[in-house]
Amino acid sequence: MAEIPQSRAPNPKSDTPVPVWRLLPRQHLALALGLVAAVVISRFSGSIDAYLVDVAIGIGINVILAVSLNLVNGHTGQFSLGHAGFMSVGAYLAAACTVFAGPRLLGAAPGPLAHNLLFFGALLIGGLGAAFAGLLVGIPSLRLKGDYLALVTLGFGEIIRVIFQNVEVLGGALGFNGVPAYTDFAWAYGWGVLTIFTVSCLVNSTYGRGFIATHDNEIAAQSIGLDTTRYKTVAFAVGAFFAGVAGGLFAHLKLSIDPRGFDFTRSIEIVVMVILGGMGNTLGVILAAVLLTILPEILRPVAEYRMVLYSLLLIILMITRPQGLLNFRFGKTRL
Amino acid sequence: MPPLLQLHQATIRFGGLTAVNTVDFAIAEGSLCGLIGPNGAGKTTVFNLITGVYAPTHGRITFAGHDLAGKKVHEVAALGIGRTFQNIRLFDRLSVFDNVRVACNRHRATGPLQTLVRLRAFRDDEAAVSRRAEELLEMFNLLRFRDTPATCLPYGEQRRLEIVRALATRPRLLLLDEPAAGMNPSEKADLVRLIRHIHREFGLTILLVEHSMRVVMGVCQTIAVLDHGMKIAEGTPAEIRQNRKVIDAYLGEEHAPLKAE
Repeated sequence: MAEIPQSRAPNPKSDTPVPVWRLLPRQHLALALGLVAAVVISRFSGSIDAYLVDVAIGIGINVILAVSLNLVNGHTGQFSLGHAGFMSVGAYLAAACTVFAGPRLLGAAPGPLAHNLLFFGALLIGGLGAAFAGLLVGIPSLRLKGDYLALVTLGFGEIIRVIFQNVEVLGGALGFNGVPAYTDFAWAYGWGVLTIFTVSCLVNSTYGRGFIATHDNEIAAQSIGLDTTRYKTVAFAVGAFFAGVAGGLFAHLKLSIDPRGFDFTRSIEIVVMVILGGMGNTLGVILAAVLLTILPEILRPVAEYRMVLYSLLLIILMITRPQGLLNFRFGKTRL
Repeated sequence: MPPLLQLHQATIRFGGLTAVNTVDFAIAEGSLCGLIGPNGAGKTTVFNLITGVYAPTHGRITFAGHDLAGKKVHEVAALGIGRTFQNIRLFDRLSVFDNVRVACNRHRATGPLQTLVRLRAFRDDEAAVSRRAEELLEMFNLLRFRDTPATCLPYGEQRRLEIVRALATRPRLLLLDEPAAGMNPSEKADLVRLIRHIHREFGLTILLVEHSMRVVMGVCQTIAVLDHGMKIAEGTPAEIRQNRKVIDAYLGEEHAPLKAE
């Protein structure tokens, strides 16, 4: 999905009829296939070990988080450490929707469709709320560069955490409990596919090359007429939106959320996925998200040494592939 | 006809240093002008004033009837001022093709939302941009490097690509900041041909900052000379070569009146 070639306008002169599946742009075909696959696989997930399904959904959520952060940190080069903060905004908003507004909206005997619609709406609200928070933080702080921006976003994440810790309606420091179990395989992977689709489509276009141009050389990007502040803001808002959705999915998977679950280490975890995957390389970032979610699970048997081994493996990976797991361009011979 | 670009008493101070001091300067539409002067004379600062990187402390700059005061860099670019940089600034992560394509953004009809929907209009738009980028690359003999990362290009080609990228924005005024820096004599001769070609084919106005007298005297119709932030002379290449002040400040005694460089 990383390097989707530009769909070219079909040659008007050719006489051969266009196959039916070519009527859709390639990206949309991939999106449709992905969504169908997510739903179909989800049908069979009942027969799979619940633990494995749980890990798989966790992978899906982390893919959403990593791919969306990749738009900000990888493509646009704005080092954000606040992704868990946006995630928590989405988690609390979506959970509040289903917990408080849900019973009123659903009525006496809700069918599965009503539940699904409610959840979809809640995720959208969570995502939009997070995107709004992204704009709120982004607009004043995106003038800052590099380390300074990282510090501001880090501070934002902490502020959000403290706020949720003190809002009694949302459970305060005890956590927000009684969230309905809506998240299943189809929801997590459906949104995962949608995230990958959105980021890929945005970046793989004349418009989207501006994100990378902003990263590579801001002054040059401005000199060809690109509003780099605008680009950064869009990247920030889109990234925050999907972080919010991932938060909503997370809340309805764990059924109980706690402000401490969205702290600084969670942000770092996502940043590590982006760096390990190779900044700006979507496929690599997906792979890193999968790897880094599975790794702690595989290391469970070694109990207390788990985090030691995990960190050690990270260090080894960073030494052997500093350019990212799947980035092969780096070492190529120059012309 | 009023000049395309006009500097009125343009001045900028950085703390105690007056980098550009009450410079009056006008460029007529369609002309090819040079801006020369010793190192630190303020040539690049003038470029940065024109393109909105710096705001003048005093004075006014107008371009095609627009006052550039308070305009951001990308807004100035959108008015039709393209530029290259003294130290090459390409988009390293992008291919040669994408470096040019991204510069076509200003003339795209469809917005960011269409990148998701990808309707016919979007695809036609993208195809038109691709065609235009490829035409430009072809014209400057860079199409063979289409998918090469921009940083992997040889130095001379990188300079050329930067010019192509600026042209892709369809500017009315092109600012070239030391395009001949680091070039050997034969490359400089090619560059002179290239600048003349661009001037002719694209019907552009060009302002050139350059140290190589061979290039400046070869292509420019008029030349302005800066020294310590002040404009000390302006005229045709022949006049500048004879000018006493210019010889003292910049050209030097021995090679100025006879032949440049």
